Amino acid sequence: MTRSSRGRPRRAAALLAVVSTAVLVAAACGGDDDTDPAADDPSPGEATEGAGDDEPVEIRFSWWGSDSRHEQTQQIIEVFQEEYPHITVVPDFTDWESYWDRLATATAGGDAPDVMTQEERYMTDYANRGQLLDLNELPVDLSGIDPLALGGGQIDGAQYAVATGVNAFTVIADPQAFEDAGVQVPDDSTWTWEQLADVAAQITANGDVFGIQPDGSNEAGFKIYARQHGQELYNPDGTLGFEADTLAEWWEIQLDFIESGAAPSPTELLEVEGPDTSYIARNQSAIATAYWTNQLGALSGTAQRELALLRYPGEGENPGMYFKPAMFYSISSQTEHPEEAALFVDFLLNDVRAAEIMLTDRGLPANVDVRQQILSQLPETETQVAEFMAEIGPGLSDPPPPPPNGAGEIPAILTRLWEELLFERMTPQQAAEQFVNEANAAIGG
Amino acid sequence: MATTELTQQGAARDAERRRRGRLKRLLMHLGLIAFGLTMLYPLLWMLSSSFKPTELIFKEPGLWPTEFEPGNYVEGWTALRNPFHHYIFNSLIIVAGAVLGNLLACSLAAYAFARLNFTGKKAFFAIMLGSIMLPVHVVIVPQYILFSNLGWINTFYPLIVPKFLAVDAFFIFLMVQFIRGLPRELDDSARIDGCGHFRIYWRIIMPLCTPALATTAIFTFIWTWNDFFSQLVFLTDPDLATVPLALRQFVDSQGQTSWGPLFAMSVVALGPVFGFFLAGQRYLVRGIATTGIK
Amino acid sequence: MVSTKPVSAPVAPGDVTARLTRRRGKSVLQKRENRAAYLFLAPWFLGLALITIGPIVASLVLSFTDYSLLESPNWIGFENYERMLDDPRLHNSLRVTFTYVFVSVPFVLALALALAMVLDRGLRGLPFYRSVYYLPSLLGGSVAIAILWKIVFGTNGLVNQVLGLFGFEDLPGWVGHPDYALGTLIILNVWTFGSPMIIFLAGLRQIPHMYYEAAAVDGAGSMRRFFSITLPLLTPIIFFNLILETIKAFQTFSQAFIVSGGTGGPADSTMFYTLYLYLRGFGAFDMGYASALAWFLLMIIAGLTAVNFIASRFWVHYGDD
Repeated sequence: MTRSSRGRPRRAAALLAVVSTAVLVAAACGGDDDTDPAADDPSPGEATEGAGDDEPVEIRFSWWGSDSRHEQTQQIIEVFQEEYPHITVVPDFTDWESYWDRLATATAGGDAPDVMTQEERYMTDYANRGQLLDLNELPVDLSGIDPLALGGGQIDGAQYAVATGVNAFTVIADPQAFEDAGVQVPDDSTWTWEQLADVAAQITANGDVFGIQPDGSNEAGFKIYARQHGQELYNPDGTLGFEADTLAEWWEIQLDFIESGAAPSPTELLEVEGPDTSYIARNQSAIATAYWTNQLGALSGTAQRELALLRYPGEGENPGMYFKPAMFYSISSQTEHPEEAALFVDFLLNDVRAAEIMLTDRGLPANVDVRQQILSQLPETETQVAEFMAEIGPGLSDPPPPPPNGAGEIPAILTRLWEELLFERMTPQQAAEQFVNEANAAIGG
Repeated sequence: MATTELTQQGAARDAERRRRGRLKRLLMHLGLIAFGLTMLYPLLWMLSSSFKPTELIFKEPGLWPTEFEPGNYVEGWTALRNPFHHYIFNSLIIVAGAVLGNLLACSLAAYAFARLNFTGKKAFFAIMLGSIMLPVHVVIVPQYILFSNLGWINTFYPLIVPKFLAVDAFFIFLMVQFIRGLPRELDDSARIDGCGHFRIYWRIIMPLCTPALATTAIFTFIWTWNDFFSQLVFLTDPDLATVPLALRQFVDSQGQTSWGPLFAMSVVALGPVFGFFLAGQRYLVRGIATTGIK
Repeated sequence: MVSTKPVSAPVAPGDVTARLTRRRGKSVLQKRENRAAYLFLAPWFLGLALITIGPIVASLVLSFTDYSLLESPNWIGFENYERMLDDPRLHNSLRVTFTYVFVSVPFVLALALALAMVLDRGLRGLPFYRSVYYLPSLLGGSVAIAILWKIVFGTNGLVNQVLGLFGFEDLPGWVGHPDYALGTLIILNVWTFGSPMIIFLAGLRQIPHMYYEAAAVDGAGSMRRFFSITLPLLTPIIFFNLILETIKAFQTFSQAFIVSGGTGGPADSTMFYTLYLYLRGFGAFDMGYASALAWFLLMIIAGLTAVNFIASRFWVHYGDD
């Protein structure tokens, strides 16, 4: 063997040794906050059941969002920690899609976050499988919460989740696009579905933007339509509360827009990702019917125009719109510090300082007093939202009951059938009947 | 005179052949470049979008930015809880460990499967292959429970230690195939010289496997760097987040995604991976120049 | 190197161990080889015992349970497996996955091999081309891919713009159309041919030069060299790439998840098997069924792999034979 080939393995071995040590050291450093309160059995020294408020306690709080929300939430946590120095809140955040995988895995592993953000589609599953605590039995002050919002988190009288704030699913309109097409923005307290179709057709004919960006895949839109016809998506007892014909009708209305050319083509519609890639945000559509009030900021920010909030057509006769809890706060049944967790939830809901940082990012605050107090601090679009919601609020009927177990699958079923319809692989009637069958199977289990 | 004529004819024919050869080579280069540009279009688009202000990215989806916005890079770097290099550093630690672990453990196992005969070899080989056939989603929960009991959640251990235990059977199989391509005469002559198995492994087989080792290193780097799901589940502490997790934080499917900074940081995130590939490429060139038998 | 075997011995050189084993069963040498093997495999055994086997066995057990992740599992026997027979969405996902495997894998391998051969010729700028063709593989699972693929294959994307130049009008979007969405994912897989190409290049580089030198001495042309030396000696690597690309294709998840936005859409046209499994396990709190699906997939892949291994005896040549 030549000298170099004998030296090479030896040098390689030395290099290997150095790098391995470095890596193992770095890996060990990566995990020095190994304290995971929910992982192991409670040790006798831990504070439980209100014994000794001043022993240092760590709770974990999970939420989803983008980095702006993460920053705000960190600030809120800091204010809370100043107020209660013995409580440390450990953050746990990721984006919307990944959130549920992480939450489910952690829960299965016995590591659920003490305070978690929940959403209506999964909340019932977590509650009915014993993963959430009843907030009525904890020191969380719910007296100031908007009664319209409380119901969404109640199952059989127990309050498993409290709304962070409320949104409404509504129609967004671009007044400038209307003007450019020479069409008047209709009066949203009286207009009908036929008028919506007319307006959309007119704008498309006169201008070079689409009249409308419709959607047949969001259950919120269908809920409104069903309620306008005296039906509901879910009954309070957890069964389906609508007739297949109603669903077929609603879909037909959406499909007509596309057929008449007032809306983008099927594949174009499906390529829209979020509010900031929507047609209205790109100044290519005058109306959009599938967004929430708290998305107004994103929409007009991208559109760089002032956009208007309109009620759904048909609201004048039989109101179907409702206030939806934007998201919930819940406390895990695996928590070892329910008192401290309750303190934190109470702070998030009722403390004006938290609301001043968060503003309407998690919906219009559920606590009515707090909502009043921050009104003056809202940026323009959010003031617009607050005013809109104040205006429509009195006319609304009771909100829908919380969805049953398995409701998490319904949005996917609806989306899939809508896609089948878009490409004419089914008739609306067939799709509606299939939806009923599949939805029943999903929530029946 | 006849010879000069012949030489002239020969020279002319050679020149003709060379010209045709050059033309052929030119065409080949053109073809490769055209193909390459087509392949790279999406990446070029992402690069160009990283220099556009976010609002214009989808309004003006052409390849050339009308407004130049290098601020995306600054914004992306500083927007998150930690500056972006913090996440790159986290990813680098994990990747370094993974590469090292795989190189060592997988090559050892591969030598055994490729060169040695032992009881249960076929069964173990089948198990080895079988371990890569199960999708991660059904083992992640038991794995989580396992690591949680060890107290390894929120550390880098679940992502590094398994590599030192040859869990990535893909690379065992890769190296087995490479080693089996080497003639046995090499082993035998070494054994006659008095080498035991380990020395054969370390002094003969491994140096000849440089391309396979380089491939293992490169692929481990890339797959670990991009491994989103395991990192999502095992690392909940935001300060331990890695590059894929950090990139996700720019995405807001319900609101306004910061597309400009997202693309800018995606471009930046490609840097270390691509750099490692370029560095490792050189070892793919080094083949068996000599047979090593001497 | 000259072999020094006695003329009368029927055994090939280097087969000392085999000779001894054949005559005496497990000889001392064999035991020593066993021990050496187990030592080399020690990290792998450890990994198997501590990290791999546990979760694998757990997932097998879970496949016989009803497990919502939020509650403890309860035993239901073969119910999950029986359910698979009647599940139309499962059958659709099998169709999607098999189509994908049988179309994209041959394309990927052919392209990777072709380009590896072209690039191995000692062309000028080889490192440059190699990097260019490899770059797409780096982006494979990135968040940005969904957007990029829409930009290229969307209704107003690059492909349609180019086709528009040739006079095609009113083309649908490819990525959002149930008939074509899978095709765009196949193209995505082929786009990342850089990975197997690198492996082929490494394999080409590892072919000992002495064979080429000998062939040149014998006067063999480049075609002859390719078919007699390169291809046969490359077969272990081709086999490897075939097995791995097939396994990877069956397990495709990220690309489908990202491009379809996690839905397998439009209309389940990109509902790959592992995506369906994931949606059942995590989305519908049906992890028991998902585990059963995973084991069924394993059996399919294992079956195909076994077939490939058996077939390999007919076309793969190892240097150590």
